[in-house]
Amino acid sequence: MANTQGLKQRIRSVKSTRQITKAMQLVAASKMRKAQEATKASSPYTLAARELLAAISTHNSVKTHPLFATRKVNSRLIILIASDKGLAGAYNSNIIKVYTNEVRSDEKAGVKNQTLTVGKKAAQFVSRVKNINVIGSYEELPDRPDGSELRAILNTARELFVSGDVDAVDVIYTDYVTSITQVAKVQRVLPAGFEDDDEPTAVSDATYEPSTEEVLNGIAYRLVGAQLFQALLDSRASEYSMRMIAMKNATDNASDLIDDLSLAMNKARQGAITQELAEISAGAEALNE
Amino acid sequence: MHLQLITLTGVSIDKDVYELMAPTTAGDIAVFPGHEPLVTMAAPGVLAVRTEKGDKDEKLEYFAISGGIIEINPKYVRVLVDEADAGADITEADSKAALDRAMKLRDNATSQVDIEKAMQLITQSQVRLRVADLQRHRRQR
Repeated sequence: MANTQGLKQRIRSVKSTRQITKAMQLVAASKMRKAQEATKASSPYTLAARELLAAISTHNSVKTHPLFATRKVNSRLIILIASDKGLAGAYNSNIIKVYTNEVRSDEKAGVKNQTLTVGKKAAQFVSRVKNINVIGSYEELPDRPDGSELRAILNTARELFVSGDVDAVDVIYTDYVTSITQVAKVQRVLPAGFEDDDEPTAVSDATYEPSTEEVLNGIAYRLVGAQLFQALLDSRASEYSMRMIAMKNATDNASDLIDDLSLAMNKARQGAITQELAEISAGAEALNE
Repeated sequence: MHLQLITLTGVSIDKDVYELMAPTTAGDIAVFPGHEPLVTMAAPGVLAVRTEKGDKDEKLEYFAISGGIIEINPKYVRVLVDEADAGADITEADSKAALDRAMKLRDNATSQVDIEKAMQLITQSQVRLRVADLQRHRRQR
């Protein structure tokens, strides 16, 4: 009988675990939907900034602008975006794998690098690794980050880039492709990319105040910012989506375990009953003789 | 004239308006229909919108905006800013609390990152406070 008691207890504990993972799955699913919508929200902004850039490129050479000009990369800044919490499947380990690869290839190529982390998990990882120059970390960003958080990161990156401390700024984040596919990847945000084929839609004989240079500065800053913002939003949506899948798997595993344990328990109980019956009938048989 | 207020989190305004008052790095400007084509830099501050020609000042819509770009052309006026908070969504108490928090953060800041974060928050809350103030005056009138 002691055996069935033990099994019963295990079933109870696995059931409560399943309840928790199920709840986490549902929470992650609803947050994922919100985050997914948010990833689309910034596209009018990017589009408008691109149109402006195309309009201004008829006045001013964009390619020689400090934020657009490509230099030989001797040192770079890596912005590493991970999550604040765990239990999100391979989310953080994927990002960190990509990051370690980048750092290794920099070491080989003799490129110096500095790191700025977003999310507690990223900060924890870089603090454990030697020889990494961490210039700052951002933690507990809200689900819908606004401009002030973005600008804080962006200004740090821009200052380093413009002052010449770094020749490139890369962001490592998780691209949200679909709700089941997320890819950790590296994207260069500075120098900003410029495509010649963007058609100017605005009238180009406009007055530029205070000057075309300053307006171009502003546009470049916004374009880079929009890219960074998109990376933050994509990472967030990916995190929830991976957490949802991880928790769904955990819930399924718990259900399987409960099935196995129930079967074992039923067998043990039936075994005990059979044995008891055999003992009683054997006793009765003995009395009859 | 058609006004679009575009932010990182979506399109806040997309409608026909009569007048737009906006802060730029070279001082405040007011834009009426038929304004000459202009591209200029928006400064963090209060943006005000008058929808109909005869609307009184009490009916102005206020937005707390961060820096950005204003594009005026014959077809539309486009304000491209990182964020724009509608006056109706801002409360004075919240903004004041946020400002105090940011000030404290700045005073205790140890790294460049913290200082940058604090400065951004201070500018943001100051602008929000001004919008909250304008909203309050409007109610009292």
